[in-house]
Amino acid sequence: MEFYSAFGKRPVRLSESTRRFAYDSLHCRYGRETAAVPTVSLDHIENFAELTDLAKYDLAIREICLHAPLRICEGEKISGSATLGEAIRHHVPASFEGKPVFYAVSHLTTDFETVVKRGIAGIRDDVLASLKAHRGTDREPFLQSCLSCLDSFAIWHGRYLEALKEAGYEENCAVLSKVPFGVPTTFREALQSIWFAFAFQRLCGNWPGIGRIDWLLGDFLDRDLAEGRLTLEEARELLAHFFIKGCEWICGGNYGSGDAQHYQNLVIGGRDGEGKDITNHVTYLVLDVIEELGIGDFPTTLRLHKGTPQKLLRRMAEVIRYGGGVLAVYNEELIYQSLLSYGYPKEEVWKFANDGCWEVQIPGKTNFGYDPFDGLQVLQQKTLQTGADFATYDALYSAYLTDLEAAVAGIVEYHCHEMLGKDDRGRWRWGDWTPSTVISLFEGGCIQAGLPYFRGGAVYNIRSPHFGGFADTVNSLYAIRKLVYEEQKCTLPQLLAILEKDWEGEEVLRRYVQSRYAYFGNDNDECDEIAVSLAKDFAAICRGQEGRCGYGTPPGISTFGRQLEWAPHRRATPYGRRAGEVLAGNCSPTPGTDKEGATAVIRSYCKIDLAEMTTGAALDLKLLPSAVKGEDGIFAVTALMQGFTTLGGFFLQLDVADGAILRAAQAHPEAYDTLSVRVSGWNARFVTLDRGWQDMIIAQTEEHS
Amino acid sequence: MKVAEIQRFCMHDGPGVRTVIFFKGCPLHCAWCHNPETQSPHPQLLFEAKKCIACRACGECPEGVHVFAHIHTLRREKCVSCGNCTSLCPTGALSLCGKEMTPKELLAAIQRDAPFYQNGGGVTLSGGEPFLQGEAVLELLKLCKKNGISTAVETCGFVSPALLKEAIPLVDLFLWDVKDTDDARHKAYTGVSNKTILENLRLVDSLGGKTRLRCILVSGVNTNDAHYSAIAKLYHSLQNCEGVELLPYHPYGDAKARASGMDDTSHAEWIPGEETLLHGKNALLSQGVSIHG
Ligand code: SF4
Ligand code: SF4
Repeated sequence: MEFYSAFGKRPVRLSESTRRFAYDSLHCRYGRETAAVPTVSLDHIENFAELTDLAKYDLAIREICLHAPLRICEGEKISGSATLGEAIRHHVPASFEGKPVFYAVSHLTTDFETVVKRGIAGIRDDVLASLKAHRGTDREPFLQSCLSCLDSFAIWHGRYLEALKEAGYEENCAVLSKVPFGVPTTFREALQSIWFAFAFQRLCGNWPGIGRIDWLLGDFLDRDLAEGRLTLEEARELLAHFFIKGCEWICGGNYGSGDAQHYQNLVIGGRDGEGKDITNHVTYLVLDVIEELGIGDFPTTLRLHKGTPQKLLRRMAEVIRYGGGVLAVYNEELIYQSLLSYGYPKEEVWKFANDGCWEVQIPGKTNFGYDPFDGLQVLQQKTLQTGADFATYDALYSAYLTDLEAAVAGIVEYHCHEMLGKDDRGRWRWGDWTPSTVISLFEGGCIQAGLPYFRGGAVYNIRSPHFGGFADTVNSLYAIRKLVYEEQKCTLPQLLAILEKDWEGEEVLRRYVQSRYAYFGNDNDECDEIAVSLAKDFAAICRGQEGRCGYGTPPGISTFGRQLEWAPHRRATPYGRRAGEVLAGNCSPTPGTDKEGATAVIRSYCKIDLAEMTTGAALDLKLLPSAVKGEDGIFAVTALMQGFTTLGGFFLQLDVADGAILRAAQAHPEAYDTLSVRVSGWNARFVTLDRGWQDMIIAQTEEHS
Repeated sequence: MKVAEIQRFCMHDGPGVRTVIFFKGCPLHCAWCHNPETQSPHPQLLFEAKKCIACRACGECPEGVHVFAHIHTLRREKCVSCGNCTSLCPTGALSLCGKEMTPKELLAAIQRDAPFYQNGGGVTLSGGEPFLQGEAVLELLKLCKKNGISTAVETCGFVSPALLKEAIPLVDLFLWDVKDTDDARHKAYTGVSNKTILENLRLVDSLGGKTRLRCILVSGVNTNDAHYSAIAKLYHSLQNCEGVELLPYHPYGDAKARASGMDDTSHAEWIPGEETLLHGKNALLSQGVSIHG
């Protein structure tokens, strides 16, 4: 039983049976089982088609809880499973006449703090209190739906208690009989509590993230250790089972962006509300488990700050070296600043986690979505249409900003119409949207307001415009500025004509712009300056959209792999790229243009005022295994993380991968089942990516080496 | 100062993350040189044939260096290293190795990566032989120290003892090349005797200079037990040596040698195999030598 490593053998600390459990899970045993039963059927329900959406939804949840298959994995220490296949496809897994009826919810971290502190019983109390306050109003149906879903949850929970008892899992049964409805007192209970609440949300089709797992669990473990109830070894086994169960949706096959991408991120480290670093035993156990099993299904991000223990930083570096891209880094201080300046209250900011990917949000309180667009497309198709000419670079740039503003406004407008309606006085109001009761139970604000997640119930409602093609746009502008306006080697219309012909017959000029100019990612101040102003101006444009409708519109920079879909539709670029060729990912340099190494890439990126990118701007770095070997390698990885935060980075995904190994995996996928790589905020098992994605990752790997 | 290249984010030339400055000029001429383009102290035209698209822009060279027959060849003996053709070349196939930079300019380049020098990282002066830059090296080292940048110098040791003495307080770590402990072989393969080199090493050591010995392993040339024992003896005779680093010969120098128009001196048979390396490492370990890496 080997778990893939880019770099030497992974250590063995877990028991043989736990390792076997992991191996089976990572080799799709449970995922295939899950996929085999896609939905429960609603066909037998009389007059189903005539019911209200909310009634349909409640029945769907009820049927799921009554009839979803139960799964008890051999020797499992944590119980409960999301066993219906359509959930893996983001549907509420209940079908009517062969089709799932509802979409589910993702891009959020739900509120597990309340689950652990007050139990599901506490949530039920809140619903009852709110019902009392809203009796007879239009909010009542939603609150009744909350009660109905909680009842269904209890049914599903009861079925597990019985099944566990029957199968002889007495300890599991005893733990589960206390949680998640009651309040946990031990580490195992707390872990089971979070897992069961998580599994229930997933059973109903949703893809929540979990957030700050060490902060949630640390005190429970400390108490158990102090009182001699549990050893660290036992706790590690328990936590490993939690991680392994988390892979129960891995089911193989090519899924485009991989089969292990269900936004189930974890966050570790960082400070609490008093500014104290929260690193605890759980933090290190999480790293132990990732180090040994290479499990990528819970991508995990460290909130790095000045007070992060050196020991933790070193452990991060040690684990990162094995590859798999499971670990990433947030610059906590910068994100605090960023959230504060956007206007989040101080007492909320320290809680930040993400949307299950890497976009920052206040967990358990945020209805989040982001709207990706390609800034390069705006430049090519609006500002630089055939025949366009500008007397100066500044005139060109301000024309681009005008087009960019129109694009962003268009996005916001679209969502105002799609997500919201207007009342009779023409003011925005929340429109009807798919029912979202299950998620609303775990989202602060919804129950109190008596409003579902999708109808403004959450405390914060965010639609973040995300600039894609950032480096491609910066590089295009830079090449034009140099070539046309500074060196005057050709006019803008001439250049556009050349680009239209895809550089045909202009190889000398193409090579010139490729080799003579140092683009974004080379620490060239002259070019990076364009990146700095572009980000600043984009942030200002987004600020201008605030308040237009019920959503906040803080900016971010990302592509999440969309550059792959965009590339075939983008014509040649002024920096020497031919039509169709690879584009930049997230806030990283365009592949092939960064020639000065990782530190130069970080410096270019960090010159941007990233605190203005409230929901995030990710930098992807890939290192070769040879670059991280030995003690020197640990220093190198640590230094990159520290330099990144010192310079004001936002989010760093650091992966160790070897192009040759990735190519071997393309040729012999069967031998590389557990090889995982960082894609973009999530991990993918490499062999389950489709070819285009695989090639893109290989290209990135070879560029950065 | 004559700089061949500045490389950032180097992890294997001293502790932590380092910026390495490769200077031009070296008193030795090792048969296995990894950086042959740094041997000569003069600027040199580099031509990477792979990048050339035969656009002939460089044909404007007044000395007639660039000749286009069926392939592009260079009459290097005519080249005066004026660098004109490198600015005409659109592909970067031509470049001039050997840029004049002041210590201040170098400091600015070094400081770019200062945020990454935590955990012991810093600058490594290498080459070529950094001490051939004379007083300027001291000035650069002083500037680095003044700005809190940790310093390492990789030296072949065949340099002025007076300069070395002055450098000691300015250098956090000397990466001291010990190419061969056998003097006859040393002369044959590097062109000079190792006597001065070892004397200088002892001098630096006696004055408190911290060293790490870097020993290249060239299979069949110096991969023998007598050499290992001599290294061990040397190591134990030093007060301030932190350990020994073994560097397997690798024909890295090839591409660079070709680009600078030098003879390709690579020897496949010199590449030590895994076993040879392990044997060397164990031989040293068994004699109480601390091995780095
Ligand atoms: S460097 Fe000057 S002399 Fe040498 S080839 Fe180029 S242009 Fe001619
Ligand atoms: S200018 Fe450069 S690309 Fe053109 S022929 Fe000369 S070396 Fe080749």
